[in-house]
Amino acid sequence: MNSRQGRRVGRGLRVSAVAFATASGAALAWAIFAIPILATAGDRPASKSSTASQASVSAAGNFLDPLLEAAWKEAGVKPGKPASDEEFLRRAYLDVLGRIPSVQEARAFLSTREADKRGKLVEYLLNHVDFPKNFATQWTTLLVGRSPQGRMVDRAALTAWLRKQFAADRPWNEVVYDLVTASGSNRENGAVNFTLAHLESEAVPLTARTTRLFLGQQIQCVQCHDHPNNDWKQSDFWGINAFFRGVKTEDKNAPNAAGLEAYDHTELHDEPSNATARFEKRNGMMGVAFPTFLNGVKAGHGDGVIRRVELGKMITDPKSDLLPRAMANRMWAQFLGRGFVNPIDDIGPHNVPVNPEILDKLADAFRDSKYDVKQMIRWIMTSRAYQATSLRAGKGEVSKGGDRDDSVFNVMQLRPMSPEQLFDSLLTATSAHKTAGGRDDAKREAWMKQFLFAFGNDEGDEATSFQGTIPQSLMMMNGELMKDALSGKSGSFLADVLEQAQKQGRAPAPYMIDQIYLAALSRFPTAKERHAAMQYLDAFPDSLHVLQDLFWALLNSNEFILIH
Amino acid sequence: MSSIMASPGGLSRRHFLGHMAATALSVPAAQFFTDLRANAADVRKKHRSCIVLWMSGGPSHLDIWDLKPDSEKNGGPFRPIATSAPGVQISEHMPKTAKQMHHLNILRSLDSKEGNHERGTYLMHTGYVPNPTVVHPGWGSSCALELGSQMSDFDLPHCVAINSPGAGAGFLGMSYTPFMVQNPNAPIANLKPPGDVDELRLERRLQMLSQVENQFIGQRRNQMAVDHKAVYGKTIRMMNSKLKNIFSLDSEPAPIREAYGKGSFGSGCLMARRLVEQGVSYVEVSLGGWDTHTNNFDALSKRLLPELDLGMSALVADLAARGLLDTTMIVWMGEFGRTPRINQNAGRDHWPRSWSVVVGGGGMKSGQVVGSTDKDGVDVSDRPIGVMDLIATMTKTMGIGIDTQYTTPRGRPMKIVDGGKPLPELIG
Repeated sequence: MNSRQGRRVGRGLRVSAVAFATASGAALAWAIFAIPILATAGDRPASKSSTASQASVSAAGNFLDPLLEAAWKEAGVKPGKPASDEEFLRRAYLDVLGRIPSVQEARAFLSTREADKRGKLVEYLLNHVDFPKNFATQWTTLLVGRSPQGRMVDRAALTAWLRKQFAADRPWNEVVYDLVTASGSNRENGAVNFTLAHLESEAVPLTARTTRLFLGQQIQCVQCHDHPNNDWKQSDFWGINAFFRGVKTEDKNAPNAAGLEAYDHTELHDEPSNATARFEKRNGMMGVAFPTFLNGVKAGHGDGVIRRVELGKMITDPKSDLLPRAMANRMWAQFLGRGFVNPIDDIGPHNVPVNPEILDKLADAFRDSKYDVKQMIRWIMTSRAYQATSLRAGKGEVSKGGDRDDSVFNVMQLRPMSPEQLFDSLLTATSAHKTAGGRDDAKREAWMKQFLFAFGNDEGDEATSFQGTIPQSLMMMNGELMKDALSGKSGSFLADVLEQAQKQGRAPAPYMIDQIYLAALSRFPTAKERHAAMQYLDAFPDSLHVLQDLFWALLNSNEFILIH
Repeated sequence: MSSIMASPGGLSRRHFLGHMAATALSVPAAQFFTDLRANAADVRKKHRSCIVLWMSGGPSHLDIWDLKPDSEKNGGPFRPIATSAPGVQISEHMPKTAKQMHHLNILRSLDSKEGNHERGTYLMHTGYVPNPTVVHPGWGSSCALELGSQMSDFDLPHCVAINSPGAGAGFLGMSYTPFMVQNPNAPIANLKPPGDVDELRLERRLQMLSQVENQFIGQRRNQMAVDHKAVYGKTIRMMNSKLKNIFSLDSEPAPIREAYGKGSFGSGCLMARRLVEQGVSYVEVSLGGWDTHTNNFDALSKRLLPELDLGMSALVADLAARGLLDTTMIVWMGEFGRTPRINQNAGRDHWPRSWSVVVGGGGMKSGQVVGSTDKDGVDVSDRPIGVMDLIATMTKTMGIGIDTQYTTPRGRPMKIVDGGKPLPELIG
């Protein structure tokens, strides 16, 4: 298992990706395919037989592939078959930008015959303005949850801060260090809000979330008792918890718009502390914990010691593999639907990874790349696993081992969109927001709330997506947003399609049908589908109604809502 | 669209057959198949349902069902009162339920190890402790699968959760996820298509939807594609059903509404009765706020117990009056009990070591207390009951074979009842 120790690769010849002038208008969306891609697949040694080690993000030189192939061989499954361009396009947009491609973007990618267009697409997406936006949205949810927080938490400031970090390609270890140690005004330093959000109950939630998110360790169960299945002890939990003992918060007032003193922001700072964490053991005795990291190393004493700074250093210690492994597993799961270890934040000897060697290599490579998140995404997206189709090979029912085939990543999992992906994709497809005066964050929040049934879950957690419940389907079928989306009002996608069709010299029907399929499903209709839609248009005089109904059907389909 | 009410296709479901392979020698095949048929017919005729009253947060059993007036330290201020079940006493703040206790049983010796809300909730809903390799189905979802599949011609969801989402369906997939009613006092949102979509257009939409769904499924992807269609099928069926007004309490007479209480719990209980009357297999009604680390006694006597007492007693009495109690099992439970010791904030903390659950109906014996705790409520003194024993009792009462097992996505067997035994005190 320790093979990675001897194979550390030297610091790399990392060539940073060329930052493209981001295409701000959709009209420029495909221009990038004409630009030579200078970014490198990175500093990993390509396999010896490969000659494509330089300057390419294509699958050819991906160091993960030989490992995946070996794993498939060992598992006795067929190697992953490549996804079609349509499949790849859609999942890449959803995974990197958090939304489906627009019609223009889809047309551009599907029509180009450039070499290595998938590699170029990955590069384009990673340099798109929606990438940091999407990752900031995701990490806001991971860090502070979806449910509205108290006034102490400035969610928007946290999101803005995260967006800046992802836009600037900050190394992950530095981002984590900042999140763990941030202090000051929660409005000016958005990172502060992570700590602020979880200070209640003696910072028990902060303890659990810090170790889960950054280290992939679930120690929350040992808050109350030693763990039955792994080595965690109750004192481990409270040892981490003790790092948060010096945290102080203070609400600040300022004159508001009406000139009255009112709450303005919260300041967070650390005071040197000698406090210990005290906890009740199962036997009723009291336990005492000093600030102690998971490896048993204790925080220093003395006046100058800020405990959270100590913790930040330990979490990001370059000698520890917890941080890179946790992120590698999380990113892999985000793009492939399952981690090497599942649940993704419960890594340890008690929970054996599916492909331990691949996880090790990816984590090591991530560390050696100086925790370059984009670089890790490149490796994942250009691997054969990510490039695999979601179509299963063979015929008949799922084989005896259930979904065993999926577990070695030779077939792409279907994954439900997150509510945010669904909302943004619906807007991308339909321009519903343009009929009602712009993209409105309050509207999105209201929609999300309805979609998530936010109340009722005491733990108020992030683990919700399209669960396929009846209320969710009802909302998709009959809800307000869908009404707006299909209204055909000026500014909407449907209105635009009709207008464009009338301007066309040739028969407008095939054009309209193509546009609707591209908008909803990022692909052209099959001959059969086109024919069926033509028949509907012929049979019914009101073409807007037919188009609305077709669009409705596509947007409600499994093909729309499942990432494939 | 009704044809798309799919059974769990990709899920290799073993049911009795899988068990038979394992115990082929002990059960003669002929007898096995006769039992199977008889069992199915029996259930259809008797039409079993289950209503779980879920007390989220961990209710203080010592102040409701298992009072300790003689314990100086742990007893608390509440007094016990006599009930309609001879010799059975419960809290003075449950006077209406006290009059229904001859229909119910108190299990006073539950014994688990999960003192964390999330883990305890998972345990009580599935029978299993959380396990990284598999997400177990909620027992209600298994119930919906087992009993619902015997009544395929049914317009309503087989599994409904009122006020909170209930447990998920785990690896059984999204089509067995409970239908959640967020607020029983409000209409179900989005139940009707927009005004300009008439029947003809709805039909056209569904035809178009069916085409694209089927094509996607036909391309062979994983189970989610099939489940999506199944959920839509159920949704559409409900939209078009004569029963869709079942979720509106407006038609209930005022005295009934008053009897149950008009809060979300009372209304949820009334809705539960309406649903089981139509044949819904599993309904869970939640009442939250039981995590009383501080001011336990105030919270209970002023807020929680009056609401619980009203809804629970009305439900039992109403079911009994309508002749539905024999076929409807009621289970009152939370994720654990609360500490016998009263803390410095007049609260009680988490206590999974010895606590109470209340069950009744569905043809069980009734009016009993099973198990007991010691004088101070600390340890089980008689007849420890494991969570799996409770699940076994519930499963048997519902007429589901306690040998029923499924195959998890990783190819391992999972039994609905793993190691537990139905309580002979309740089931003859």
